Amino acid sequence: MTNPIANSATFKTTPKWKKAFFSFEALLVVVLVVEIIIFNSTGTNFTTRDNLFEILRFSVVLGLLALVMTPVILTGGIDLSVGSLLGLSAIVFGKLWRDAGMDPWLAAICTLVFGAVAGGLNAVLITRLRLPPLIVTLGSFSLFRGLAEALTRGVDNVTGFPESFLFLGQGYLFGVIPAQLPIFILVAVGVWLLVHQTTFGRSFRAIGFSPEGARYAGIPVERRVAFVYILSGFMAALAALVYVAHYGQAKADAGSGYELLAITAVVLGGTSIFGGIGSVHGTLLGLAVLAVLRRGLTLSDQPAELGSILTGGLLLAVLAGEVLLKKFSSRRARVKTNAQVSQITPTT
Amino acid sequence: MKKYFREISVAVALGLLLLVLAIFAPDFFKPTQLLTILTAAAPVLLAACGVALVIMCRQIDISIGSQFALCSIFAGMAAGHGLPMPLVMLLAIFSGALFGAINGAFVAGLGLPSIVVTLATMVTWREALRWWREGEFVRDLPGSFQWFGFSQSTGQIVLLAVAGVVFLILVFALKHVSGGRFVYAVGSDAEAARLAGINPRLVTFCVFVLMGALTGLAALLNAIRFPDVDPKTGTGLELQAIAAAVVGGVAISGGRGKLWGVLAGVLLLACIAPALVFLRAEPQWERAIQGSIILLAVAADGWRSRKGKI
Amino acid sequence: MTKLLVSLLSLTLLLTGCGQKTADGGNEGGGKQITVALMPKSKGNAYFIACRKGAEEAAKELNVKLLWEGPTESDPAKQNEIVETWITRGVDVIAVAVENREGISSALRKARAKGIKVVTWDSDAATDARDLFVNQATPEGIGTALMEEAAKAMGGQGEYAIITASLTAANMNEWQKHIKIANDTRFPDAKQVALRPCDDMKDKAFSEATALVNAHPNLKLILAICSPAVPGAAEAVKQAGKQNSVKVVGLGLPNENKRYVKEGITPSVILWNTMDLGYLAVQTATALARGEVKAGDTKIQAGRLGEMEIQGDNVLLGKPFVFTADNIDQFDF
Repeated sequence: MTNPIANSATFKTTPKWKKAFFSFEALLVVVLVVEIIIFNSTGTNFTTRDNLFEILRFSVVLGLLALVMTPVILTGGIDLSVGSLLGLSAIVFGKLWRDAGMDPWLAAICTLVFGAVAGGLNAVLITRLRLPPLIVTLGSFSLFRGLAEALTRGVDNVTGFPESFLFLGQGYLFGVIPAQLPIFILVAVGVWLLVHQTTFGRSFRAIGFSPEGARYAGIPVERRVAFVYILSGFMAALAALVYVAHYGQAKADAGSGYELLAITAVVLGGTSIFGGIGSVHGTLLGLAVLAVLRRGLTLSDQPAELGSILTGGLLLAVLAGEVLLKKFSSRRARVKTNAQVSQITPTT
Repeated sequence: MKKYFREISVAVALGLLLLVLAIFAPDFFKPTQLLTILTAAAPVLLAACGVALVIMCRQIDISIGSQFALCSIFAGMAAGHGLPMPLVMLLAIFSGALFGAINGAFVAGLGLPSIVVTLATMVTWREALRWWREGEFVRDLPGSFQWFGFSQSTGQIVLLAVAGVVFLILVFALKHVSGGRFVYAVGSDAEAARLAGINPRLVTFCVFVLMGALTGLAALLNAIRFPDVDPKTGTGLELQAIAAAVVGGVAISGGRGKLWGVLAGVLLLACIAPALVFLRAEPQWERAIQGSIILLAVAADGWRSRKGKI
Repeated sequence: MTKLLVSLLSLTLLLTGCGQKTADGGNEGGGKQITVALMPKSKGNAYFIACRKGAEEAAKELNVKLLWEGPTESDPAKQNEIVETWITRGVDVIAVAVENREGISSALRKARAKGIKVVTWDSDAATDARDLFVNQATPEGIGTALMEEAAKAMGGQGEYAIITASLTAANMNEWQKHIKIANDTRFPDAKQVALRPCDDMKDKAFSEATALVNAHPNLKLILAICSPAVPGAAEAVKQAGKQNSVKVVGLGLPNENKRYVKEGITPSVILWNTMDLGYLAVQTATALARGEVKAGDTKIQAGRLGEMEIQGDNVLLGKPFVFTADNIDQFDF
């Protein structure tokens, strides 16, 4: 599909892209600033230290999913199963702790391993059987949620976790900093370093641009792709732990709909859904724009439906803006506009 | 034979399920039960055909459930205001086509990725509807609304006939009309299609509009089964339709698929939930079973094509 | 870059336009007016629309600012997020129809620690997480009433099936528990043969009910415990031509069920008066914020409802109401 000439053209224009990207993220920063200015006047207690930390606190679970969704989408894939896997991991953790009598921290480690294995299932189907990620994860989306419901008959709700564990989601360090924030920062820095500062991570973008090209360049495409899905599963389990600690319960419906929110944050952050283009800091900005919008509207006594409608509108506006931008930077014009869903497949 | 492997394997799976039911729960084949399953599946079939066309064109549409709900509500309210049913039908189809045109304009006109565009419109339409109706049924519809004013059995036959005729027209058009061949061409290789003198953007736009119109018709056919309209209708329809298309052998990478396969996929998925009731299965397994079927169907596909390669 | 600036500007204008509108709405409620934040279990549910009507009526009478916000998606964590946002915003009293007892109690305790009064209505949180509970009917009351009506409709014996919203809905699982207790202790000849979820959608309830009546030839009754399922199941019975052998009983709104109650498919629909429930929730919340009522009182003055009884820390609305063909025309919600 991609010939070497097209590739070399792409490489030539890379600095230009970096520039365009810089400006795309600048666009998000401006949107964010505008939001803050508006909500500062309409919202009650919007610009306070407490509110800042609360916004961060409520973004952690979704943020973990979005952070790792970034490399997944960078490789040209997608993972629709993260929300369901969050629910299943929460149940696994709850069951290990309550029914198997494990120490909560040991159970937590087992849950993380479980998440990685479940992500491995996606990875095997995608890389070994060469199936499109959209379809594989659509299937595991139903499967994981279904298993969570089957294990609990839908009704069982594990509660009464020890205080020391709940501190992870409800406590405050030094009385102000939410306890889950350091985890989030650690993961954010880790994923950023991985994607932007290592050759290993940079190969994700190469794969997303052209899996064949990456293969010719000597990148073990299957193994790298498998890695991001396993990482995605692992992170869904970590998010599940924070979720359980935050809400004090493990129930089969935990995390419903989070996959779409995570994808929205990633795409709003400038990552191309076809892979190859995007950044972790862009995702963080996209996440911030969404979180500030949601909370700002509630603090301004506006209904949540408006928030969702604005999110949808913002997504379209930002993307349309990006396309128009692309049209005007002439040399880039036709490389990616006709990109297709098929490129979600990592291999051809 | 090999060419139709997927279509045949889905049909075989459906046959096996029906065989199991025939042995263990013959009541499943009572006419009232079968007619209900078929009349419930017919609107889903039209929606799934629309989605299948979009997928063949290498795009995707996940806003179909929200479009479906809005069209149902429009149809219900129009009928409630005393519009004659043929006009109500046209209105449903037209509003569906309009929603499709909006998606199409963003996807074909601006070249935006369809999964993101339809993700945005899915959320926007659904939330706008919730804001507007707050979950209230459209009630007190005139007698001419349910079953088009016919008796129940005539109405069911009319519904199936309308859906069947539209389905056959689609099957025929996709195979024998140049516009239908264009869909495969654009889905296989948009650039090659362009060089061959096809306008890929126009084809893509038309496919989205057609899908919207089919969704509008499906919404109407679904709504007339009941005396009032629930604004939550169509929630999750996007997954049902995509799953039916994929299980039925439509390749997500575009360019390949048969509407007959989609028909088999729709029927297979439509039979699972009632089959579980008849087989006295515990309800909490339902979702796990559905997920496994989708994964098995695509895994079989992947396994076969892999073997074929080696 | 210039074009970028242009698009930025237009986006800014767009956002500012939206923002200006919200500004007007937000600033009206300044001054010393009491702010009552009322949360339903979910928005877009006909049941809670009726509650909201009653709540707005009470807010007008008492001259309080009423905030109405609730989850729009199935995510159980959403109620926590809204409560915590209200804590940051600063409201005088928070009144929640609790979806998930264990999950929300920590957020409500936090609100109380910050000096915000907390009321639960419709369904309760942990007792130390709120000041008062506006109790329209206990899960036990609902479960028992449902089973009593069901037993009446099936003559005390035979097979019945339950249609619920989802297998994970906490309140419905609680009702089912009490349905089962009432079934085992008082109506041993009735037998539950199936439980099916309908995703809170009428269309799905219809399909499930059709399969149920055909799969269980001896089925005498469908007990629909979420509101869209009652008309959905009744329509299924009607279309399957089983009006004479299968009845439908459930929790639902009178307007959605009038047709079937009159046709005799649904002998009775159970519900408390939801408008009064919303009305009483706001009356109680305001009285609490103004210090007119406190834990330990035995009665409360609730506007047009007159004097209501408080038992312990529960404000009682009264028994669930049974709508039948004789009285259903008197109600419009």
